[in-house]
Amino acid sequence: MRLRRHFHNDESSGIDLAPMLDFVLNLLIFFIITAVFTKELAIQVQRSGAAGGKKESGSIMIAISSEGEISVDNRVVDVRAVRANVERLHALKPDYGVMVITNQNAQNGVLVMVADQVRQGGVENISFALSN
Amino acid sequence: MPSKRHSDESGETGIDLAPMLDFVMNLLIFFIITTSFVKEAGIEVSRADALTAIHRDKGNILIAIRPNGEIWMDRQAVDIRAVRPMIERLHIERPDDTVVIIADKASKTGQLALVMDAVRSGGIDEVAVGAAGGSGE
Repeated sequence: MRLRRHFHNDESSGIDLAPMLDFVLNLLIFFIITAVFTKELAIQVQRSGAAGGKKESGSIMIAISSEGEISVDNRVVDVRAVRANVERLHALKPDYGVMVITNQNAQNGVLVMVADQVRQGGVENISFALSN
Repeated sequence: MPSKRHSDESGETGIDLAPMLDFVMNLLIFFIITTSFVKEAGIEVSRADALTAIHRDKGNILIAIRPNGEIWMDRQAVDIRAVRPMIERLHIERPDDTVVIIADKASKTGQLALVMDAVRSGGIDEVAVGAAGGSGE
């Protein structure tokens, strides 16, 4: 009687979940450990042309010298004036992108600041090339 | 007798695992979905501030450029010539990955251009330059 009841019990309880639970918990621990929630902050900048930095027609030109001097349309401007200049030129030529031509010794901080200003000025299409 | 047996049985089996299993399964699915295997650069650089920087969901290969021009990828300093094969390998492993180049404020744009070219010749066209202090989206 006792044995029979035991058998009956086993049958009604169905599949044993314990090994599956072990496996699932292991998977869970693995994914918790490898999870990374940081998302990188970044600005999309296209790399255009070869290192020669050939000029493309149809873009607003911004140049950065090796000392970090910024010039828009061959006029030297302050970094805070880039936004206003881009806004003005963007209003004149709405389909133009921005081409940033930098000296190879210019600092990347200046490039990112200029790209940021350009985006604030309303142009998303930024490409970047080196001058000689 | 049947009801007595029933109560006896539930006393024997202990805690009901089903709700816990449901919960664990939900957690598991959450972590599987949110996981992204980021290839950390391995060093901290001082980033340039940019108000319009946006969070990139898939930017998970990080390449750092130090002020002296050193390139760090996957927690090791690598040569510029090693960037392309590494990108090629990572691109084959996970074709959805995009690259974020975290260039130090004081690093040179010449080095950034070289790294960008190496990444593009390695097969990944989506390249962005890392920044800090953006409002996000």
